[in-house]
Amino acid sequence: MPIKVLAFAGSPRRGGNSETLLDWVLAAMAKEPDVVVEKVALTDANINPCRGCNACERLNKCIQRDGMDIYHDKIIDADVIVLSSPIFCMGLAAQVKALVDRAQVFRSRKYVLKLPVVPPERKGKRLGVFLATAGQNWDHVFAAAIPSVKCFYHVIDIRDADISYLMINNVDEKGAIEKHPTAKADAGKLGVDVIAELRKRLAV
Amino acid sequence: MPVTVLGISGSPHRHGNTETLLDRLLEGANTAGASVEKVVLRDLHYSPCRGCNACHKTGECIVKDDAIVLYERIMASDCIAVASPIYTMGITAELKGFIDRQQYLWARKFILKTLYFSDDHIKRHKGIFLSTAGLGWENVFDGAFPVITALFNTTGFEYYDNVIANDMDRYGGIIHHPTALADAYEKGQKVVRVLEKLTSA
Repeated sequence: MPIKVLAFAGSPRRGGNSETLLDWVLAAMAKEPDVVVEKVALTDANINPCRGCNACERLNKCIQRDGMDIYHDKIIDADVIVLSSPIFCMGLAAQVKALVDRAQVFRSRKYVLKLPVVPPERKGKRLGVFLATAGQNWDHVFAAAIPSVKCFYHVIDIRDADISYLMINNVDEKGAIEKHPTAKADAGKLGVDVIAELRKRLAV
Repeated sequence: MPVTVLGISGSPHRHGNTETLLDRLLEGANTAGASVEKVVLRDLHYSPCRGCNACHKTGECIVKDDAIVLYERIMASDCIAVASPIYTMGITAELKGFIDRQQYLWARKFILKTLYFSDDHIKRHKGIFLSTAGLGWENVFDGAFPVITALFNTTGFEYYDNVIANDMDRYGGIIHHPTALADAYEKGQKVVRVLEKLTSA
């Protein structure tokens, strides 16, 4: 069975800094043997915001029929889930926040209905990666986004300790990340390391 | 001219905990003599920011929809009361989608330098954030504050106060919370009095 990587490119700007960072990570992963990578651009994914109706607490599924129908199953199926977002106004881009909020169905499954999100034998064998870029050079520019990211991974059964982060600030204009001294090398290394770690987990 | 208070409800859920809290604040403001309006984001039509940065050159958003109209209303208000429940440790995607659209104002301020708010203007424009969260964690609002700060900063409002209540799941809703609704009502009255005093000064 190949390792399945599901990656969400969260920026509405295609080919911008956060997507470039994602592409570097994915290229490194795809070079490894037996790895299948799927990238989804959220701006085209037709994922509506959560309506807050709480119907998933009873139905175990969302009442909305949209792009999330496909990604719900893919999220369960994947071994590695990579999320990338630019920081807009100190938070995740709204497109990313919509995906994160739609994970409510997993939260309801886990905590209200007390049903498994992934089969027990896959627990601890899924890894998460969060990639972000910000125009601001503030050190704390990613701080407000991280709690939402942690919740997202938590409800899809990826443990806090199993999330890797690569966050690059002070890159604003399209292409700025190309000039960053370490981002590309760090992204490549991250991609390789995550796949190696996953292989170790799957072998157990 | 009465003080104008614009309430913005960012919840997709009508008349839930957060909107009820906002209603109380607006009621308080109304009894203190303010002219009060409420906008429900769910009823508007706007798309999220496309990140195209066209506004960096022109100071205008190329997407003409309800978001721009609402920003004009915000800029014409003395007080804005922005309400969102906490979803996944942050504000709702609806409100985030609206706030991301302020990029054209940010561009006017920091790139084109055609928009400037004096300290006096900021002092006379008050922003209040209202929120509720199901979880009882102390830090449940921490992801929301910086985003709301960004909204108030860009639109020229002082971040005046919060009306926040966590642990809704335990209380069984805002109506069972011991202080939140009374707090909202009082803060609604108070901000109008403070703004009136500033105008007459």
